[in-house]
Amino acid sequence: MEVVIVLIILGIIGYLIYQSLPNTKFEKAQAHFIAKNYVEAINVLNGIFDKHNDAPAKFAECKLILGQGLKANSEKLKAFNEILELRKRINNTSSIAKFENIEAKTLFEIAKIQYEETKADIDKLNQNLKFIDNANKKGLETDFNTLRTKHFYQLSESYFKKAIEIEKSNKYPDAIRVYKKAIECSEKSSNSTTKHNAVARISICRLKLNESIDLQENSEVQKSDKEYQKDLFYRYSVYLLKNGDFQQAENIISTHLNFKSTDIEKLRDILKAEKANIALNQITQINQKIEQLYDNSLSTEELSKFYNSLDSIVSSLKTVDLDLSEKVLAIKPTLFNRLLTNYISIEQYGNAINLIYKYPKFWESPELLKNLGICCYGYTSKGLLSEKNYKIVISSWLTAVYSDNVILKSLEDTFWDDNYTFSLVESIGSNYSQHEEVPENVNYDEISESNISIGATQRELLQQFETIIHKQIKDHQLSIQVNDFYDKEREAIEKVVKILATDILFPTPHFAISNGLNNEIIKELDSDYEEYSNEEALEAGVPYIKNSTSSIVYQYFFANDIIDRIKSAIEAENSATIKKLNTNENKGWIEKFDNISTIVEDSLFNTIANKISEDDENEALIAVMEECIAFSSNNEKLKHQYSNYVASYCISKVNDDVIDNYKALTLMKGAYLRSPNNPRICKNFITLIRYNLMDMLNDRTKKTTDIYKILDWVKSNMSQTYKQNSSELSNARKEILQQLKEAGVDTSLFDDSPFGLIQPFGQSLNADGLKMKKVLTYLKDLGSIQETTNPLDRLRQLRQQLNLDDDLPF
Amino acid sequence: MKNPYTILGVSQDAEKAEIMKAQMLAMKYKKYSLQEIQIAAKQLLDPAKRLAADFMFPAKIKARRIQIIQSNLKYQDINVNALNEDAFESLK
Repeated sequence: MEVVIVLIILGIIGYLIYQSLPNTKFEKAQAHFIAKNYVEAINVLNGIFDKHNDAPAKFAECKLILGQGLKANSEKLKAFNEILELRKRINNTSSIAKFENIEAKTLFEIAKIQYEETKADIDKLNQNLKFIDNANKKGLETDFNTLRTKHFYQLSESYFKKAIEIEKSNKYPDAIRVYKKAIECSEKSSNSTTKHNAVARISICRLKLNESIDLQENSEVQKSDKEYQKDLFYRYSVYLLKNGDFQQAENIISTHLNFKSTDIEKLRDILKAEKANIALNQITQINQKIEQLYDNSLSTEELSKFYNSLDSIVSSLKTVDLDLSEKVLAIKPTLFNRLLTNYISIEQYGNAINLIYKYPKFWESPELLKNLGICCYGYTSKGLLSEKNYKIVISSWLTAVYSDNVILKSLEDTFWDDNYTFSLVESIGSNYSQHEEVPENVNYDEISESNISIGATQRELLQQFETIIHKQIKDHQLSIQVNDFYDKEREAIEKVVKILATDILFPTPHFAISNGLNNEIIKELDSDYEEYSNEEALEAGVPYIKNSTSSIVYQYFFANDIIDRIKSAIEAENSATIKKLNTNENKGWIEKFDNISTIVEDSLFNTIANKISEDDENEALIAVMEECIAFSSNNEKLKHQYSNYVASYCISKVNDDVIDNYKALTLMKGAYLRSPNNPRICKNFITLIRYNLMDMLNDRTKKTTDIYKILDWVKSNMSQTYKQNSSELSNARKEILQQLKEAGVDTSLFDDSPFGLIQPFGQSLNADGLKMKKVLTYLKDLGSIQETTNPLDRLRQLRQQLNLDDDLPF
Repeated sequence: MKNPYTILGVSQDAEKAEIMKAQMLAMKYKKYSLQEIQIAAKQLLDPAKRLAADFMFPAKIKARRIQIIQSNLKYQDINVNALNEDAFESLK
């Protein structure tokens, strides 16, 4: 009994000790916390505040929850400040670390309350921002940042309102300063509305201060309040008008003040008056220049400046007085003539060419085209041709000289021709009587002493030009370029002249393309082809192609280009490209044109022949040739070229031991396939068959299966020529059997009967024997000669036997 | 190629006899080489070549003489200062 009592007492003491342990107490507090009995939890935690690491944080958390539950902000703030005070009681670093999480939450709660209480007060907002900046934000960084942004948003609004008030009291510099603060805060809070409005208001303040502003790239202003925009753009227009920038003012008014208002009308009236005054000044100046022009006191340079200024003057006058603008426009041709004459007389041919080229459709005027020709001649004779300009100069010269109308126009200024007439019969600018109208002294009659050849004049001009090109171009490279270009342009224009019988301007390709005349020429050539199926017309049109793909000329060019691409691929030994080009569509384009389809085979044959002449033992060429054969529908010549090339290649490489017999056999199979009746191919192919069979018999090859595959193919693809030449194989068989007999071997074992394998007397073939039997069987199958009944074949056979046809290469 | 008319010092409408006479004079004055004079004369005595020489005279393009431009516009006074800058004041 006593023992029991002692045990009970010990138990109670133990229990009491256990209950008084900090961990036990914390667990108790935790239980209160979970049960939301925060006051009881606080009481328990208060007892172990210094004894348990987690106690201060839990204590603070309980107080935070209780504080959050209070109604009045003042009570809340009091409770939260008490939490912050707890930090002083904590002397354990581990406890502090845990407490700081609750401290951050408490500070955030305080900051939130303070933000709500600022009521847009700028000072309070700034103070609370400082509070936030200094606060411990542990774990609540995002929340604090969001709260901070809210402050800036509120601040931007407050600053903007404040600035408005300052602006209203006409203190513009101060207002600008505060608007800038609003912009600063709006940028931190993405408050774009306030930002745009503040930017607009700053510009308005500046204008109120009569300061200049720049709205060139200010898109923010255009997003501001509509009323602000109206105010700003109006003030800006007034500012610009006051400062004489009428052009900019007009832009602003037409773009931003496009609404009805008497005040805007006033602006427009000012602009109108200003334009009229400017127009008056311009007319006065133009009249002064006209006077100078006729008293010869206007230099060529001043005349050029005057002429070049007319377009913009005409354009500005149109809005003021249409009649006046037309009067100014009307003086342009006279000024143009005067300027061109000046340029030519002082030999400024480059300026003259540029001037003519700027004149709309100058080529329609024979006079201008003639003057252009003169300038090009003069420019070249002065040695001024360069890489940059020679194309324009040469194409313009040729176009001018090849134009019959230009030469006919020249006759009008000729005064010694009273006794002469002129004939277009040899003209280089037309091929027969195609001119709709010719002068009285011009005809198409035979040339005589009194009937002068216009063609001779044109040729004389060309010859003179060629002489100056030859003399004046010292740079060798440029000389090559110029002469090459000249020849091509001349050749092209001559082709067109020869074909087209219409009375139109025949430009050279470069002239036509530069001046947008090429499609007209192509159209004429297309029509000629459609009417006469004349592919020469298409050929002539090719140099005139720029980027139009809808013409027949282009189709012709495209078909030709396919051949050119194949030829390039042959040059580059690129069989894959030829394979890619081998499509039905491409073949269709080629087939459409006889000129192209009939030369495909020859064209490819010649390109390959050139390639062979460079290197006649190039294996890469074999695949290229195979693709060419596949591309060309008419390909007998290509097949012959291919087969002979392959045969020569195999002969050379087998003899030099560069390739083995199997490889030669596979290559020769290709040759035989394409030229099965070519005796040379058949003979060499048969020889290679024999070599391969001997290789198999003597274990010199590992390609037995592949070789038999080829031989099986040959069995069912024996041509007449093959059969006539296959005795080599049957002879080889006979020779082997003879040798076997001489060696005492029973050759009946190799008979090609199903019973040959096992003989009646028990003799059988071992593996070598079976191999021998198979080779002998193939020699027999591939070498059997069939008698021909065709006398021509017999004759051929006889010739071959007499070695009259081809040599035996191996 | 120099202009044969310039070398021989004759006008564009010179007749055959005039050209031959000018050739003799040019040879006498020796302003140009004998070869140049001969080529120039040959060119002007051959109608087709002479036509080529004539080609090098710029074509005259007919154009009217420009008259002084008359305008009905009158100079207008502009008073920018009379504008009401606050017409669209946005802070009213």
